[in-house]
Amino acid sequence: MPNRQHYLFIGSICLMVLLLTSCAPKMVTKADKFPLMYEEMPVSILLLPPINETTAADAKEYYSTTLQEPISFSGYYVFPYEVTSEVLKMEGIYDAELLKDLSVTKFREYFGADAVLFTTIKKWDISYIVIASNLTVSIDCELKSTKSEQVLWSYNGTVVIDLSGGGSGGSIAGLIVKSIVTAINTATADYVPYARVANYRAISSVPYGKYHKGYLQDKEQKIVEQRQ
Amino acid sequence: MKKKGICISFLLFALFSLMGCATTEKMYYWGDYSTTLYAARKDANDESLLKHKNTLENIIAESGKRNLRVPPGVYGELGYIYFRQNNNDTAVKYFEMEARTYPESRVFMERLTQAAKAKNTKN
Repeated sequence: MPNRQHYLFIGSICLMVLLLTSCAPKMVTKADKFPLMYEEMPVSILLLPPINETTAADAKEYYSTTLQEPISFSGYYVFPYEVTSEVLKMEGIYDAELLKDLSVTKFREYFGADAVLFTTIKKWDISYIVIASNLTVSIDCELKSTKSEQVLWSYNGTVVIDLSGGGSGGSIAGLIVKSIVTAINTATADYVPYARVANYRAISSVPYGKYHKGYLQDKEQKIVEQRQ
Repeated sequence: MKKKGICISFLLFALFSLMGCATTEKMYYWGDYSTTLYAARKDANDESLLKHKNTLENIIAESGKRNLRVPPGVYGELGYIYFRQNNNDTAVKYFEMEARTYPESRVFMERLTQAAKAKNTKN
């Protein structure tokens, strides 16, 4: 016979499940969203110089230091950006903007890359509104095959940080926010940690590559469906 | 008693959610890579560049100690630093290590090796 404790136990589980499902965004499996990734199974990725759509001139250079690590952790071979970007510069490629409409098959010939990663910095700024100020970093990622020239994976990573802190006075949270604000005012450096979070948000949706334990086993893994 | 039941169920829930995250053990040791690279970008001078080179060497040493594969591109990047310093034999050594660790880098590493060897015969 179930007693009260059992009901309470089941009840609390149900409540938690409800809490988890009620506010969840629309989900889709990795295999449904990015079937070409599982068809082509790219192994090596060449990072192209980021396209900067913001007015922050230094965003590009700083942002490009944040990509190699997270992509490697997803199980892909990433060409050393410090080397490939130099080589591309010698070829006159400073910006991937020009490459968007061109064939990328030559990157397979020259580097042996299975795919190239376009990144676009959409937002890298602080907006001041009357009562609040927000720091936003937003990055679009697009992985294009050097074999089929098709887009294999694309996703956005965005981070919005509220810097206003809302009169929290002497509280610890208030102090932290204040120090963040001053840090941001003094140096552009402070965008980089948020760029890392934005990267993480985008890259967590990519199917795992060859060097990851979960390679080809994540087809049913769910990710948030983004409107393109 | 009631409280105890709720307490236990919450603990179980917490435990399960923690277990979900615990499987992501680190595949690579990247050390201070992004920090020293960022510093070198911000202010490229002998000191900041040397620090970044030390980071690359430390990643290789530490990966060996931890029995991990050296992360993608690290041998290649270190080799390129030697290449620029005209230490072409050492450069070739590292390009070869990158290609051996990651066969998919071979096309590019061979290109760099050829460039290094060409520089050597010119000198």
